[in-house]
Amino acid sequence: MIAEIVMCMLATVAFAVLFHVPATEYFFCAVNGGVGWVTYSFWLSHGAGLTSASIWAALALTLAARILSAVRKMPSTVFLITGIFSLVPGAGLYYTSYFLIMGDLARFMEKGTETLKIAGAIVLGMIFGLVLPQSWFNHLGKAVERIRR
Amino acid sequence: MVDGKAGRGMPRSKEILNLAISIGEVMLESGGEIYRVQETVSRVLESYGIEDYHVFVITNGIFATVHEQREDAGSMVRYVPIGEVDLQRVAAVNQLSREISAGECTVEEAYGRLRQCKEGARPSKWVLILSGGIGCAGFGYLMGGRPYDSFFSFFLGMLLEVFLLVTAHYKASKFIVNILGSALVTAGSLALYAAGTGVLFDRVIIGGIMPLLPGVSMTMAIRDLFGGDYLSGSIRLIDALLTGMCIAIGVGAAIKVFQMLGGGVLPL
Repeated sequence: MIAEIVMCMLATVAFAVLFHVPATEYFFCAVNGGVGWVTYSFWLSHGAGLTSASIWAALALTLAARILSAVRKMPSTVFLITGIFSLVPGAGLYYTSYFLIMGDLARFMEKGTETLKIAGAIVLGMIFGLVLPQSWFNHLGKAVERIRR
Repeated sequence: MVDGKAGRGMPRSKEILNLAISIGEVMLESGGEIYRVQETVSRVLESYGIEDYHVFVITNGIFATVHEQREDAGSMVRYVPIGEVDLQRVAAVNQLSREISAGECTVEEAYGRLRQCKEGARPSKWVLILSGGIGCAGFGYLMGGRPYDSFFSFFLGMLLEVFLLVTAHYKASKFIVNILGSALVTAGSLALYAAGTGVLFDRVIIGGIMPLLPGVSMTMAIRDLFGGDYLSGSIRLIDALLTGMCIAIGVGAAIKVFQMLGGGVLPL
């Protein structure tokens, strides 16, 4: 579990470098990636399916990105884009393609639907996270700034 | 393009419009959301005292007019092809627009600052290649690979990043890059498997194709659709779907070729 989180944070930072995130934000990108993965594996280990675990993870990730964006005074895209990669259904895409080539159409359909469902779940989770009004996050950012002084 | 000198001899309103649109352009091509670009352009125009303006932004273009009813009317259209994601630029330009709206920056200074934002330091090629490797190894591990498999993902990831840098240099088509890139990773992984290294080749492939996955397009599509920019959101969504399909084609083609070369049925 710990090893997974560390690897997730490391990989997220690597992607942050690929997307030219300012070096001061690497650590916070890693935290965001970690939040997504912890939520995802928490729900998976508590019996949730891949789809619902992805919804929760995307929701947690989006909220964390918005909080970080208010605190760090950075566009939330910086944290969102780098954090989302641990959830993107790369495995599903691979197996879909694999079963198509192998001519196993039943499992191709199954994996293909699953991949699309996960993608849809990420969309839903992010939308739920975006619904909260921006002013709440702005207040939070200001409060943090006051405490820091 | 952006140039302080371009402002000479222009009416003031046009000069401000040029600045605002140039700031929006940098933001849009580097991966800013539509609503953010629209808001930034409007904010810059307002900060320099322009009240009557219209701004329209889509994924690959910006259109704006100022002072339509007056003598110094100006309008501009910019074509902005979808570029490489560069979040540092988005952050820098966002900061610039905040300073402009706080009244801390004259038009001339803002042109200078914008040029700095565009030329800001980028990670060197070696750092990019290394992080491509680390990213693939890390995600390969998360997707159920053993550390042994991650070790190979690391090298395939670096190979893929080299490929991506070379194709970016020659401005190759995105479709071709995604198909060939995923085929490259798959071929590399299957070659390792055939060489008898005992890797879980599927985990290595999944880790390796990570940098190609349309995570960015997907995120942008959601944000644009959520912001009510349906046209831009659809463009991104189609981009995400096509990218996914291209990766599937690349992986599938490489597996097929491997089988035809006598690789036999691959175990799952």
